Amino acid sequence: MDIINQVEQLFIQNKIDIFLGYKELDGHLIPHGFTPDNLDELKELKVSENRYSLEKIATHLSEKDPDLKIGIIARDCNQRALNLLYTWKQLKPENIEIVNVNCCPSPLKPHPDCSYLEPKQSGEFKKEHGIDYNAEPDSLMETFNNNERFSRWMYEFNKCIKCYGCRNICPVCFCTECSLEHASLIEPGTLPAEVPIFHLVRATHMAGRCIDCGLCEEACPSHIPLRLLYREVNDIVSDVFDYKPGEGMEKSPFTIIGDDVVLEPKPMDFQIQGEK
Amino acid sequence: MTIKRVTFVQELLKFIGLEGRLHLEWISSAEAQKFVQVVTDFTEKIREMGPNPLNVDNVIKGAI
Repeated sequence: MDIINQVEQLFIQNKIDIFLGYKELDGHLIPHGFTPDNLDELKELKVSENRYSLEKIATHLSEKDPDLKIGIIARDCNQRALNLLYTWKQLKPENIEIVNVNCCPSPLKPHPDCSYLEPKQSGEFKKEHGIDYNAEPDSLMETFNNNERFSRWMYEFNKCIKCYGCRNICPVCFCTECSLEHASLIEPGTLPAEVPIFHLVRATHMAGRCIDCGLCEEACPSHIPLRLLYREVNDIVSDVFDYKPGEGMEKSPFTIIGDDVVLEPKPMDFQIQGEK
Repeated sequence: MTIKRVTFVQELLKFIGLEGRLHLEWISSAEAQKFVQVVTDFTEKIREMGPNPLNVDNVIKGAI
């Protein structure tokens, strides 16, 4: 059954109120919410290698309407993100209906649907030094000594234009208040962005939370190898705390939000009432 | 938990090339000798490593 039929069935069976997928606009696939009011539009539903954090849109929608039933296109990375969002009560699993699409290339699949399949080699520094986007943190540790790593990362961090694209695209960035916008921590209106505080703050917040979808790195206009950095913090969390984000439904033992939630994630209040 | 959190920061600093500049030690208020020893050792270690490369002056001079 192809994806359009699948979604149509979900609408007919009244399982979902809105379906988050992609639609072509001027040659680009953009995220789009399909509704049962306009079933004809479903013909335009497309899946390609383009990715977007649809689950982030879902959290914003359910923030406004907690009982909205949402259908969503999901690859493996989306699934991990959804698990994490369920864990942190940003979404209710019973309100989410998943339609799986291809993720990795295989002869059994007609086409791989992910933009992250080939290692990219953009960024002049990276070209010179032969570090690609899909590098593993361990290889960086082996190849470079302490000083080399330092100058490498400072070079990368200095490229930041503080567009906040990495945070805005991130499916698991859901705090109501963001440290990166805190004036006493990150000075507003200056460049480069508080090297290395800006990126280390984000890296620390990604520890035990990043589900390694790589969208931040794709979004970054300065080609900072963010995925590599966040892979490292997750490796540390995995080593020290024995936790891998997005796998199960357990909260990370390492979290900056703390055991008692003072920084209230949204839209937590409507769920927590019955529980405590 | 503290030791795990500090280990996390140590590992992260190591990854970006600031290894060895964070130290954690449990010292009771009755262990003056140990306190002196730890502080002296760490000061020596840092002195050998030289100034913090993130020092504002170094940044301005373009040392980074």
